[in-house]
Amino acid sequence: MSTATAPARLTSHASLSHLTFAGLLRSEWIKLRSLRSTFWCFALIFVLNIGFAALIAAQDLTGGASQGPADAAAGEAGMSAATTAVTLGINFTVLIAAVLGALVITGEYGTGMIKSTFTADPRRLGALLGKALVFGVVTFIVGLVSLIVASLVATPLLDSSSNISIDWSDGTFWLALVGGAGFLALAGLISYFLGAIIRSSAGGIAAGIGLLFVVPIVLSIFTGLTNAKWAANVAAFTPSNAGGLMYGYGAGKAGITDGIVSLDQGLGFLVMIGWVVVTGILAVILVKRRDA
Amino acid sequence: MIIADGLTKRYGERVALDHVSFEVQPGMVTGFLGPNGAGKSTTMRLIVGLDRASEGGVTVNGKRYADHRAPLREVGVLLDAKAVHRGRSAYDHLLAMGATHGIGAKRVKEVIALTGLESVAKKRVGGFSLGMGQRLGIAAALLGDPATLILDEPVNGLDPEGVVWVRTLARHLAREGRTVFLSSHLMSEMAQTADHIIVLGRGRVIADESVETILARAKGDGVRVRTPHASSLTPLLQGQGITVTGTAADLLEVHGLPASRIGELAASSGVVLHELTPLSGSLEDAYMSLTQDEVEYRDTSVPDAAAVSTDTQKEAVR
Repeated sequence: MSTATAPARLTSHASLSHLTFAGLLRSEWIKLRSLRSTFWCFALIFVLNIGFAALIAAQDLTGGASQGPADAAAGEAGMSAATTAVTLGINFTVLIAAVLGALVITGEYGTGMIKSTFTADPRRLGALLGKALVFGVVTFIVGLVSLIVASLVATPLLDSSSNISIDWSDGTFWLALVGGAGFLALAGLISYFLGAIIRSSAGGIAAGIGLLFVVPIVLSIFTGLTNAKWAANVAAFTPSNAGGLMYGYGAGKAGITDGIVSLDQGLGFLVMIGWVVVTGILAVILVKRRDA
Repeated sequence: MIIADGLTKRYGERVALDHVSFEVQPGMVTGFLGPNGAGKSTTMRLIVGLDRASEGGVTVNGKRYADHRAPLREVGVLLDAKAVHRGRSAYDHLLAMGATHGIGAKRVKEVIALTGLESVAKKRVGGFSLGMGQRLGIAAALLGDPATLILDEPVNGLDPEGVVWVRTLARHLAREGRTVFLSSHLMSEMAQTADHIIVLGRGRVIADESVETILARAKGDGVRVRTPHASSLTPLLQGQGITVTGTAADLLEVHGLPASRIGELAASSGVVLHELTPLSGSLEDAYMSLTQDEVEYRDTSVPDAAAVSTDTQKEAVR
């Protein structure tokens, strides 16, 4: 114990552990797993993906049309129908991913936690991207595992309802599952960066849901009413339309016919990446510049 | 050591901090005083880079906060007891904070024990009282065992026992050679904790001196005398450099004469005294006189709030 007259020299911290990106990732993982809301959102994504797959797989997907011998249904049409059944839940669970994406960042602004986060990482970039990475990876894993389990659950149902058997060696099928999980993660990330830009939970969720659900509907109504080609082309590049191709069975053919742009699976993925990068750059600029 | 140099912060037209410069030395507790809205919290946020300075700069141990390799090991900061996600437990909050710097569960448990949070550590922060939140904030500040501590209103919401605990802790940390910088709007609290005081008023430094200096300046030389014979005592006391004011029929306030001399004079002429009290101006008075022109949110309908309140007190005495 030192005395008041001779203050002890504090030991240098140079040899001790310091701020690292790995540390920020660990920190964000602890934050993600220590909130009940996160757990329930992921659980809901899991359950709904499997539930919808089971529900659809139990229906007769052949449309009552006679498929002839059983091996005919095992062909491309059968796998396409199976993929649709297994990935249908994504249309709904993407909503949860978007809400969660906005919440993981706006929740910190709303509670004041962001001040603690940014005093631990005063440069902010590592914390913002570390959180994005952890959230994105976890969402992808939860999505992928849920789609694989959904496929397993759907296998006996498809067999009895539609005489379709899933070919697990089909690369196109796997690509759709990976694409579906990727779509959930990327849509969640767009919403995350919008949340970082807007900083309020209500605003962040509204922006995320608005971009994913409202904008495509508005554009489609507009296109229907006016036949405007530009509106149809804009709609093709919205996250839900472009990203929706990610989990189709060999979805889409890229090209332009009669001035209407159409994308394929790979381009759909690139458009989603583009959305994430653009919102991400905007978020980084604003988060670094603004007072926390 | 914290060095602020010409620190200026503007929010649009409003100037929150106007070229503030000061040094906070290690090995002592430095108090940061000022009325609400004076810019204390803004200054502290600027030190750790949560807000950007419009002009000027501030360094901690020679570097900008953000330029340190291990910011949490350099500076521990309590800015706001509410800088925590309400849905997370205190333990998980500290674990997540520490993880950024490779600080593990062992140290987390140490600071939890140090701040007396063991019984609530696994509970969600949303249910914490203001005092417990304050302790959690202090635990987070101590996590990196930092050489510099910045605590914004650390005793806010604490019970008397907690106030004493913070005071003891601050003094102990300073004695270990650390730089301890804490803000308050209560001069009386600062007087018992700080060695040095920086007073901020409307975004400017209006005093930067040791507690002794402020105390010495605050000490008055008045004596209160209560006697049924006020009218006969008054002429006995009056003389060179002595003022006697009657504040009530049996009450005098004497300046320029020590209490002992007043007692002797009264005894020598047979004047009965009921009370003889040396008056010392409180630190609070000294602080009020320093800041009374600098209060940001004064009720404009009352020309001089301080004068009015003094009058009311006199009214009560009468």
